[in-house]
Amino acid sequence: MLEIRDIRTSYGKIAALKGVSLEIREGGLTCLLGPNGAGKTTLIWTIAGILKAQSGSMRLGDDELAGLKPHQIVEKGVVTVPENRLVFPEMTVTENLVAGAFSRRRQKGDVAEDLDAVLDRFPRLRERASQEAGTLSGGEQQMLAVGRALMARPKILLMDEPSTGLAPIIVEEIFEIIGQLRDEGRTIFLVEQNANLALDYADHFYLLEQGHVTFGGDPATVDHDDLIARAYLGARKAS
Amino acid sequence: MIDLVQNMLDGLAIGSAYGLLALGFTLIFGVMRRLNMAFGSSILVGIFAGAWLHGQWAAGMIPIFAATVAGAVVASAYVERMSFAWIRGDAALASMASSFAIWMQLEELVARAFPQRSYAFPTFEALPMLELGPFFLRPEHAAMFLTAAVLVAALHWLLTRTLFGLRVRTLSDSRDAARVSGVDVGRVAVLTFGLAAAIGGVAGFLIAATDGQISTKLGMWATMKGLIAMVIGGLGSLRGALVGGLVLGVVEAQAQWYLGASGREICTFALLFAALILLPQGLVGRKDTLARAEAVRRI
Repeated sequence: MLEIRDIRTSYGKIAALKGVSLEIREGGLTCLLGPNGAGKTTLIWTIAGILKAQSGSMRLGDDELAGLKPHQIVEKGVVTVPENRLVFPEMTVTENLVAGAFSRRRQKGDVAEDLDAVLDRFPRLRERASQEAGTLSGGEQQMLAVGRALMARPKILLMDEPSTGLAPIIVEEIFEIIGQLRDEGRTIFLVEQNANLALDYADHFYLLEQGHVTFGGDPATVDHDDLIARAYLGARKAS
Repeated sequence: MIDLVQNMLDGLAIGSAYGLLALGFTLIFGVMRRLNMAFGSSILVGIFAGAWLHGQWAAGMIPIFAATVAGAVVASAYVERMSFAWIRGDAALASMASSFAIWMQLEELVARAFPQRSYAFPTFEALPMLELGPFFLRPEHAAMFLTAAVLVAALHWLLTRTLFGLRVRTLSDSRDAARVSGVDVGRVAVLTFGLAAAIGGVAGFLIAATDGQISTKLGMWATMKGLIAMVIGGLGSLRGALVGGLVLGVVEAQAQWYLGASGREICTFALLFAALILLPQGLVGRKDTLARAEAVRRI
């Protein structure tokens, strides 16, 4: 669905992505694993248009995303759930969600309908609908960030480290939500440190190391422990 | 006692104009996280556009008002391009230094075009003095106060009840979150800049119409008053900007009466100093101290 070809992104002179190619497949969960500093978040921000790629292409169907501005990419249906939630702390839960529908402009009634659907999906958010987002717990903020992205009616959800800074029991809850979204047939691209958990949900995975995709495949066909050792401990065992 | 209250009235009136100046600064700062040092000089351009119209064709108050606001907006659009749009968002210091340069440039342009020391600006003289018991309210002061109140109410409505306002608030709350939510950051920033300039233009018009004469010093004056009021009230808070303006106005009016012009200047800066030491968050600081800390770090 989204084909990324030879993307290069750098911070000044320091190259972070040195030619990344991968494909996010329609109706499944594609997971990107890799150690800290491998360039995972850089890739998300590059797809989202917030960082500019020096070269390479990102094709969504017939549309080229490289070179578009962030809001244009959201309009194309590629919507990010950023790392550390990044909700609007001084705005209410409802306002946060309405902000998610900015890219749609039209159809006022539809926005209200979607808002209702998101609040149905996350009853905890409904209880806190008029509360400022900054007062929510970490898990609730993560739900809000997911809900805000859903308000844009995304074709692809990019999720950057949804487990960061959350208690293990909340992480389980967030992954159940992700699993639910996958089961609804949504296309999800998940970047995650918690490889064990991510591999349980992924249909496909890639391994990013020092700005290169070094490995990829179907989680069912590889030994998870082996893969995790390779991803995070630098072990070069063949799998 | 009567003096004290009378000064208070005068102070609140001029303070509401300071509040408008501070609102302009705050809007730009809130959305851009950058200081626009050329704000006062954009207003200066507007005021002289109004004065020129007055001198050339003896135009009425309404066209002069329109010319003042339009001049401020046009000059601000120039500042926005030169010092903000073409300078990267994370280079806040570069924007500030560049806007300082544009300030000098605009001021020099106005000084070249209008070489006399001062020019006449039309006043509301036809209106009668308002009497409130033993107190007097100058009609232009009443106009200042009313205009400020109406503008603040309108701004509040705009920011809390419209989609545009919601966009502005997302931008001032978290820039990156706004981008991933599909906000066209550049467009909203330009519109906010224009809005701030228009508010500044209104404030400039009211101040010029109260004084009846203007000089090229007004730009610097407006920048100083707006900045001081903003810092007293609390960086990045719209309510704070207004409160800071009113407090500054009242303190100045009292000091002017009891201590004279030089005493007034001393009091102004003493107030700024005290605010920075005792209330670094301002009178109406933002609740979210983290966002503020970040904002301050980025200056």
